[in-house]
Amino acid sequence: MGFRLFFIGIFISALLGAGGYIFKLQKDNTILKANAIKMESAITEQQELITKQKEDFQEILAANKKMNELVNVLKKDLEDLDKRFNKNNRDFGKLALEKTGAIERIINKGGDAASRCIEIASGAELTEQEINATKKSEINRECPSIANPNYVPY
Amino acid sequence: MNKPTPLQIEQLEWIIITSNNAEEVFKKLEEQGIDPVLFGLTDKDFQLLAKNFARIRNHLKVTNDLLDKYKEYYEPEKKENVKDGE
Repeated sequence: MGFRLFFIGIFISALLGAGGYIFKLQKDNTILKANAIKMESAITEQQELITKQKEDFQEILAANKKMNELVNVLKKDLEDLDKRFNKNNRDFGKLALEKTGAIERIINKGGDAASRCIEIASGAELTEQEINATKKSEINRECPSIANPNYVPY
Repeated sequence: MNKPTPLQIEQLEWIIITSNNAEEVFKKLEEQGIDPVLFGLTDKDFQLLAKNFARIRNHLKVTNDLLDKYKEYYEPEKKENVKDGE
């Protein structure tokens, strides 16, 4: 009788041990699955981040290129202004002495155009007239690159 | 973030005074009730002023465009909404 009880005890203990072990394995498995999901999610996030960074880099390159182009056309406007004053060794002071009225009208017109350039550079909307200007007589000669987007120098 | 309001520039009038027309210019000013005082620049300094003005304008344009780019990057949805609303 005692011998039978001993074996029943061992059997029940083994059964409980095996059940506990299976329960622990299931628990570990759940944790591992959760970890795997977290890892996959982290990898996806990292990949998305890398893709976004690549896109950002391309955008920055494109923006820098566009900015350099803008700087160059603005530089050209400045050079054109210099040429207008000194073209063919022109003496602006002497011209003003000889043709005072005409030069006064020219510099007042130029001054108004330059003021408009400042307004545009600070973000003012272009007028229809400025947008549609394609001839030399229609453009703002102080800053055609920003005032007249459809003007192609000829 | 709202962009700064574009500038509105006051128009001004340039008067050229030479050794030949100085008297006439001052007389005209007095007739118009304006103080016969003018703040002068030589032709060379006028050119420098014009170039400085152009440099300021260029700098303003570059800064403004840069601001647009930052806005485009940091506020893309807002920009799309504005486009939708147009």
